[in-house]
Amino acid sequence: MKREKFKFLSKDRVPSENSRFVSGKGNFVADIDRPNMLHVAILPCHEPAAIIKKIDFSKALELKGVVDIVTGDELLNAIKPLLNGLDTPHVKRYPLAIKRVRYAGEWVCAVVANSRAVAEDALEKISLELIKQEFVLDAEEALSDKSPNVHPDHGSNILLEKKFIWGEVEKDFDKSDHILNYTVKWGRNSTVPIETFGVVAEWNNIESILDVWASIQMPKFSDHIATVLGLKGNDVRVHFDVDVGGSYGVKRGIKHTILASYISRKLNRPIKFIEDRLENMRAGDAHGPERKFNVSLAFDNNGKINSMKMRALDNAGAYAGRAPFQLGKPIGAIVGPYKISSVEYEAISVTTNKAVQEAVRGFGQAPTNYALETGVDKVASYLKVDKLDLRKLNFIKASEFPYTIPSGSEYDSGDYLTVLEKVFKETNYKDLINKRDKLRKKGIMAGVGIASCLEPSGGNSSFEPLLNEKNKTTTWMESCQINVDALGDIIVKIHTTSSGQGHETLVSTIVGEILEVSPEKIRVSRPNSLESLPGNSPVGSRMAIMLGGAAARAADKIKSKIMEIAKFKFGVSKDNLIYKNASVISNDGNVLTWQQIIDLCHRQINELPSGMDPGLASFDIMQVPTGGKLPKNNKVHMYPCYSFEFHLVLITFDPVICKPNILSYTVGHDCGTVINPSIVTGMTYGGVAHGIGAALFEEFVYDENGQLMTQSFLDYLMPSSNEIPEIKIVKHCTPSPHTYFGQKGSGESGYLGAPAAISSAINDALNPLKLEVSSLPIRMHFVSDLIASHENNGKFKK
Amino acid sequence: MKVELSGSELIEVKPEDLWKAIIDPEVLKKCIPGCKDVIAVSHEEYSMKLNLKVGAVGGSFEGKIKLSNLEPPNKCTLDVSGSGSLGTGSGIAKINISKNNELNSIIEYESLGEVGGLVAGVGQRILYGVAKHLIKKFFSEIKNHFLNDK
Repeated sequence: MKREKFKFLSKDRVPSENSRFVSGKGNFVADIDRPNMLHVAILPCHEPAAIIKKIDFSKALELKGVVDIVTGDELLNAIKPLLNGLDTPHVKRYPLAIKRVRYAGEWVCAVVANSRAVAEDALEKISLELIKQEFVLDAEEALSDKSPNVHPDHGSNILLEKKFIWGEVEKDFDKSDHILNYTVKWGRNSTVPIETFGVVAEWNNIESILDVWASIQMPKFSDHIATVLGLKGNDVRVHFDVDVGGSYGVKRGIKHTILASYISRKLNRPIKFIEDRLENMRAGDAHGPERKFNVSLAFDNNGKINSMKMRALDNAGAYAGRAPFQLGKPIGAIVGPYKISSVEYEAISVTTNKAVQEAVRGFGQAPTNYALETGVDKVASYLKVDKLDLRKLNFIKASEFPYTIPSGSEYDSGDYLTVLEKVFKETNYKDLINKRDKLRKKGIMAGVGIASCLEPSGGNSSFEPLLNEKNKTTTWMESCQINVDALGDIIVKIHTTSSGQGHETLVSTIVGEILEVSPEKIRVSRPNSLESLPGNSPVGSRMAIMLGGAAARAADKIKSKIMEIAKFKFGVSKDNLIYKNASVISNDGNVLTWQQIIDLCHRQINELPSGMDPGLASFDIMQVPTGGKLPKNNKVHMYPCYSFEFHLVLITFDPVICKPNILSYTVGHDCGTVINPSIVTGMTYGGVAHGIGAALFEEFVYDENGQLMTQSFLDYLMPSSNEIPEIKIVKHCTPSPHTYFGQKGSGESGYLGAPAAISSAINDALNPLKLEVSSLPIRMHFVSDLIASHENNGKFKK
Repeated sequence: MKVELSGSELIEVKPEDLWKAIIDPEVLKKCIPGCKDVIAVSHEEYSMKLNLKVGAVGGSFEGKIKLSNLEPPNKCTLDVSGSGSLGTGSGIAKINISKNNELNSIIEYESLGEVGGLVAGVGQRILYGVAKHLIKKFFSEIKNHFLNDK
């Protein structure tokens, strides 16, 4: 159903969540206190690899206020390992280290006490006897037979190794005029929300039920808890009305929650565990992809890119986490916005003695975009053609949609050239190049960067069966319930937590649009998991499409019932009825008002068509549009929608100190029909800032001894308002044919292209010196050394 | 991360007296900054408890010191290892005491340590400075100790 004019949709409306957050009335997990509650602190082990010989906590137990101390050995006998979705039975992960530690900071035991302070004091009284083991930190080294195995029973460090060949790769390489090989690296960074992970778990012995309040963003969370603890699904009640203080993927918290829940069941008391920053940074779910790409591009003299070979080696850290699958999502947009006819993709995920990787915004797409975009720049530089012209030449044209890429996904729609034109109206490319050249004449390092990237959206999980043949999942549904009460007021229920995505605004706008009721009058409720229908939470940039879709379909069902009632009441056919302003008007002038509809549904079943149920309620469980198939011949269609973004940036820095200055930043963004412009704009601003962080600042760094050197914000650098320039956002709308209103995803916008664009600009600035940087984050002191070394013919020494 | 420190100090006592002092648990307890306890397990082994603050982080540290290559009153090697809420640490220090004149000794030290955990991850920027400061403080306490003795 497409609509030309919207009442509430795409209008500049203030998101309904704003007032509660700006007035400090959010309800975060740290705000939740339960009677008789106990607190947890965690003892980490600081060795990157060791066998645990003995844990002596007798002195800690003597401390007043300490109630219990739980070790890995205890958990081993009481719960199942966490689920990882792979077929790796010997890579087992528990909330606490079992027999051996595999990364510095890994949790060894949990102290339970009357207060967090007492629990922390008790940590100091626990002594560990360890036998140090060999460790490995580098992914390439971890692949070698000589390297120590992080999980000796597994027999190697390889979690996933899969090579895909889509199309005639060798033929395309043979017939191409040129081949270019390059390597780029994406540093281990993340999203680092202000709120660390927190959970309150409360087991009720009488009713046999586990209540969980947690700052989560994780699909199938309650199922996971029940499975690991050996409970029935309906024994676990996860409360979705907890506000989550930022996530973008990292608020998994499953090990924290299993631990707190286990303790709560054991002691029959509520348990609160709020990570501190150190726990979060070194052993929470804070780390994202760390990846090395070896890429070969085959292309012709005219710049046409024919084929790509990409090897992506991912350093997963000590356990499986979500890392291996983050190599899977990019398969759905492996050629970006370009017509590349064949691809070879080798995805390798290895364990090392670093912290475990979890999901991060884009689920691996931003690193892959960076690798591909760097290559496109390199081809342009090699052929001495403009990198913008090269992109234009290789773009999929608006008339070519739907467009199926070699790996099997079908891109829904797009109009990349028009987005570019719109961007250049705001910031002219040629003018920017002229400005750059003028700056260069003054001795300033200046570079123009561009990146054109896709955001696959509508979160499906088809990469799981593609990477693990035992996984036969073909649905990744989302649902929504609507009830119109006896007073005529509308309640919409959504079945997930929100970490700033504005789900309440999303569903109230959409239900309001369809029922023509002001969204302000609609109450959105986030019940607990027992009162919810199946859903898969806000991952994979999916909620505008999936939750928005389910809400629209549920609202349509309400409207259909109303129309049935009107048809019956007025004795006319549907064609003679119009739904307008929450009333039904017949062509002969009869009006059925909202109040009348409510009276009929709630009080006068005798006036309803025979057999019609009373009340006015509906629900919808929606399948991902275009999804539903298992992979065939190593190919699968992954995402229903593909948003497009184009970044154009001018960066300058002086050749000595190299402090970067982003003089101009413009991003063109096409995510189809926008539900709420303010939310999409906020996503894109934040995404660009996040991408600038990944490009220039943020990295979880380990020293050669396996110690994490960036455990706090002293060392893990985050961009602040000082580093983020004014960002101009240029919007364009190419509706998706697969969604209710033509909407696409935008939860990852900005972040998917900004790192590539910044790298492109810095490399452009270095181009006159024939220097380049090929790993993120780009350390400007390294750039400074590079320039100095060049100026001294390589004789420069630090 | 690795921490390398070396230096020398002039102490206004004879090498024999200095030697006695630096292997005396009572003196060590008094002079090592943040030291809560020193127990001589044997002639060549001590156990020690410290409470330290390194920049933004503070906490406890329990460790063992083993002495080897003893050549009283001139030379010894210290092998230190331990852990606590501050993290882990281990290292080797070579000590050389020589006679400067009748009343003065010079103590030279050369050490290579490795630290992990909190102290490395959070205190890294200032670790070297703090370590130097702690050593300086230790020697000034030793000097005080002899002054008070007089």
